[in-house]
Amino acid sequence: MRYIGERSTDPGLLVLTSLADSPKHGYAITVDVEEFAGVHLGPGTLYGALARLESRGLIEALPADDRRRPYRLTADGSAALQQELAQLQAVTRQGLDRLRVAEAAR
Amino acid sequence: MTGSDKRLTPRLARLALRLYPLPYQRRYGEEMRALLEDSPPRARTFFDLLKGAARAHLRPAEAPAGLIAPAERVRASTSAVLLCWVFFAAAGFGYYKTTEDLPFSAAGHAHPLLRDAHLAVQALALIASATVVLGALPLIVAALARARREPGLRRTVALPFLPVFVFGALTAAVISIAHAQGPNGSGAGSAVAIAWWIAGLACGTTCVLACRAALFATPVAPARLRGALVAGTILTVAMLAIAAATAVYAVALSVDASHLAAETNGPYQLLSVTASLVVMAVVMVGAGVLAAAATMRGWRVESEVA
Repeated sequence: MRYIGERSTDPGLLVLTSLADSPKHGYAITVDVEEFAGVHLGPGTLYGALARLESRGLIEALPADDRRRPYRLTADGSAALQQELAQLQAVTRQGLDRLRVAEAAR
Repeated sequence: MTGSDKRLTPRLARLALRLYPLPYQRRYGEEMRALLEDSPPRARTFFDLLKGAARAHLRPAEAPAGLIAPAERVRASTSAVLLCWVFFAAAGFGYYKTTEDLPFSAAGHAHPLLRDAHLAVQALALIASATVVLGALPLIVAALARARREPGLRRTVALPFLPVFVFGALTAAVISIAHAQGPNGSGAGSAVAIAWWIAGLACGTTCVLACRAALFATPVAPARLRGALVAGTILTVAMLAIAAATAVYAVALSVDASHLAAETNGPYQLLSVTASLVVMAVVMVGAGVLAAAATMRGWRVESEVA
């Protein structure tokens, strides 16, 4: 089992989430992640995540547009993202429920 | 941020890109350069790239495959070991400056473990330095011979010598400043020492990157490349052994000569001697591990070709 502490800000998960609706190139991913997660991915972190995801077959590169190459999710990538988000959702629901119970008891 | 910072940071960021393994540079370099143009790099971008480059070297399984020829991969591995040596040597110089004074020699005479660890560091440093020279010499000779025949290659082959001359001139200037100041250092002296150390790292890094460019531009016989890889392996083993001996020295010093270990040390007297030695040992281990990763990658390529 993976250590869950940093999962919600894991660069790989953020990149997969960014690519969930449409293919994007590096800069578009950075802007998108900053908007929906409030996290700035530096170029080293971003391309480290892209290389890992690409080597695991979770994303694939599309033909380059000028020097900017867009990436899209593969079927495996969609499945992996769905599984990760379902786990995160379970944790989130559990955490919120427990906070509610604790608040009611106070 | 000043105007000069704005100009400097993108240049530094592009320099940091060259620290990535070659397959990464070929596969993602152009995209990363485009990203750096789209999104103005901040100061922390440089450190993010350094971290990414280190990670890329440490996890070769994630590297894009099939983008470079085996001989290029051996060249890249050899250059990476040399770059690790630059950072290792910077930490090693810190060790030398920390332990050069008389009280440390006296402590060494009184405590055998201290003396032996210190001697081991010195002997291994000599072996490592000789290995760098012997490993690089055949490649330098080949590059110079080629440059004599091909004028187009001269600039590339001459470039690695430039940072060496710059650093030599800087060192001469620092020595004359130190002599003018006398034995009692000041805050300005500490600032000069830090600036000199950073300049040394910058010159060393530039020199290795220029060497790498020259090595990629020069056809070299496989036997010479294998010789460089053997030298890189010896250098890596020596680096790891020096790091271990430095750690032993730091522990022995704090046990056997705690008064010396607790003294303040370095520019601005910021750290204790023990803390300085621990920092140096950590940098040495880091450089040694990165060198080991590069060396193993080089031998893997060699065995694949064989």
